Amino acid sequence: MTDSTSEGVLSGVRVLEIGGGIAAAFASHFLAGYGADVVRTEGPTAALTHDEAVYLCAGKRRVDVPDPELRRLALGADILIEDGKPGALAARGLDPVALRKENPALVIVSITPFGQTGPYADFEATNLTSFAMGGLMSLTGSPHREPLLTGGNQAQALGGMNAFGAAVTAYYGALMQGEGDWVDISLQECAAGMLELYGPGSAYTGAGPQMRMGNSVRSVWAIYPCLDGYAGVCALERQVHSLFDLLGDPVLNEERFRDPYQRAEQDDELTAMLYAWFAQRTKAEILALSPIHKVPFGAVLTPNDLLASENLANRRFFDSVQTPEGEARVPGRPFEGFVWTMDSLHEAGADTDTVRSEWLAGAPA
Amino acid sequence: MKQLPLQGVRVADLTMMWAGPYATRVLAEMGAEVIKIESPRSWDNIRTLIPQPDKTDPWNSSYYFNDYNRDKKSLTLDLSMARGRELFLQLVKRCDVVIENYRADVLEKLGLTYDVLKSAREDIILVSMVGFGHSGTERGHVGFGPIIEQMSGLTSLSGYGDDGVPFKTGISYGDPIAGLAAASAVALALIKRRKTGKGTYVDLPQRETMSTMVGEKFVAASMRGEEPVHFGARSPHWAPQGVYRCKGEEQWLAISCRTDQEWRSLTSLIARPDLADLTLEQRRARQDELDIVIGAWAAEQDAFGAMMQLQSMKVPAGRVLDSDNIHRDPQLATRGYWVELPHPRMTPWKQPSASWRLQEANPQIRNHAPLFGEHNDEILRDLLGLTAADRAQLADQGVIGTEPVNPGIG
Repeated sequence: MTDSTSEGVLSGVRVLEIGGGIAAAFASHFLAGYGADVVRTEGPTAALTHDEAVYLCAGKRRVDVPDPELRRLALGADILIEDGKPGALAARGLDPVALRKENPALVIVSITPFGQTGPYADFEATNLTSFAMGGLMSLTGSPHREPLLTGGNQAQALGGMNAFGAAVTAYYGALMQGEGDWVDISLQECAAGMLELYGPGSAYTGAGPQMRMGNSVRSVWAIYPCLDGYAGVCALERQVHSLFDLLGDPVLNEERFRDPYQRAEQDDELTAMLYAWFAQRTKAEILALSPIHKVPFGAVLTPNDLLASENLANRRFFDSVQTPEGEARVPGRPFEGFVWTMDSLHEAGADTDTVRSEWLAGAPA
Repeated sequence: MKQLPLQGVRVADLTMMWAGPYATRVLAEMGAEVIKIESPRSWDNIRTLIPQPDKTDPWNSSYYFNDYNRDKKSLTLDLSMARGRELFLQLVKRCDVVIENYRADVLEKLGLTYDVLKSAREDIILVSMVGFGHSGTERGHVGFGPIIEQMSGLTSLSGYGDDGVPFKTGISYGDPIAGLAAASAVALALIKRRKTGKGTYVDLPQRETMSTMVGEKFVAASMRGEEPVHFGARSPHWAPQGVYRCKGEEQWLAISCRTDQEWRSLTSLIARPDLADLTLEQRRARQDELDIVIGAWAAEQDAFGAMMQLQSMKVPAGRVLDSDNIHRDPQLATRGYWVELPHPRMTPWKQPSASWRLQEANPQIRNHAPLFGEHNDEILRDLLGLTAADRAQLADQGVIGTEPVNPGIG
């Protein structure tokens, strides 16, 4: 990393990740990829599964130090990311307010299920209960069944994505103004402000809650079974007519289908036509129509499908992570425009001595 | 008083719908001055997505549009007209960031590629948020959030587990994820400009951004060839975990038992001491049966009361808050999360505040989303130095306007 052309935008930025579960580890994973020196301390128990650790801890240096030394590392950092319970850092002698006083440029990002304050601040939470309390779960799944949890760990990853953005934004503020900040990220709030039209709709109209709609918001905004799996369409008014041309049924020329107000009354009929249309085609056939006809089609692809994609390989999207059990291929940069590099997975505690000598050399004890 | 981190940053915002406007909503929350640019002939369709047949200017009274566009200024400018494009490039000289989420070919058709923008301002930052990137065989694909989610791998990983059906998330999930990443990219580009003096062209392929949200599943796939497993609301790590129907209409409670202790607490609350000593392996093997037991108890409970009881015993439990009652949640209320702002066309309603809570700089939402062309005069006069006569001529020529031409449904 001596060549200036391969230097990441965050090169030289020191990030300390304390006890990271998924949310904190996710946020600092992106910081590491864009060049920051991320030092991770493990939590009291293994907070991540093997697969999560491979994805989220690669490219980080991992240390095991006692709390007084951790405090010195924190004071030497530019950004501190943590997802412990409210008050947990202070109990270890790392009160964020005190750290900010001693190092005014320090950016601290704390991620918790409900934020640092309020009646639920000390609630126990998991990815499931956070997904429920943020409002997303009520909208997800079949209307004929119980609400559904989206795959992966979305409530926590969403907190991580928000924490990443807040960290780099507050760090920019620190560069410009000399002052960092203490950012209080609540998983519940991250989700509650992105409930599409349903959140503001219920708040404004008072019409009550929006019921979940499964895979079909309406006929032309839905997922259907196709010949070799599932595929979907999302057509706005400006794309509906191209979709109708593809369906090719002359009945669609009738005013009751052309007119958007009347069309809403024909949604069952249109849904039946779309079921039949999708059922006769493969994912590849459907996807091939999208760029030609400017109709937003999608296909439900698996990670294995994406790993086999020649296009994604050519776009150099995947990182290769070396682990003791072999190579993993994982999603790489969330966006292009900056140098992104991903190092191997280190063992927990493996970098204690080197980080000590680099970060604490000359620092007051 | 401490300044917000993006104080003094000006953004020319060409984005529409959700992904882009969510990015610039966040930038505005962080202190940036965001100028939303729409054409009188091509406006942000979110303005008119929800039919309001009884309104005379429905494009100004959409609660949905307002949600993504508060704290921004509105300038109308037809970029496909020579004069509009020329004024836009003059504006770019006075902006730090240009951001767009058009289809991949649109910026080029408008003659506004990164090189052109750079000739207007050498250190300009351009963020392009296209679905599948600007290179490669899929660049021509078009898609909204649910398409992005399907193509990212995530939808394949969600489902009840007993029917093989994949499920989408209940919102256009790809949009806010891409929006958050784009707002983050702007901060990174500003950091780079501060260090090197150089601008950046950020190409943000929304589908790839979305895949980063399930990276651990690519570890499973690439190292062990694993195909998606649908867990419903259960956990691969502990048991029982589920979502249980409570008293009332569509009232649900999510419960996780991560440890033997949490399980014992739950069995004492539901008065089933006979089950208290089941091990994790036993609970996993008998989860169908345990779901019935917990479900029978939950059916007689008030969801809020049951959550509070379980939490008092340190068992993770959370109500499935819906789009309505989330606005009355005590936690969000105590934290002042919902804020009501005046609007010239609408009665105030509860709007979410910034989720990036910088406790010292303290971001607050300030203004309703702009009316169509509301800031035309201010921006054209103060930033571009146009006289009243110049501005009247632009309006006559249709370069600017304060009403969409031929508005229909988005």
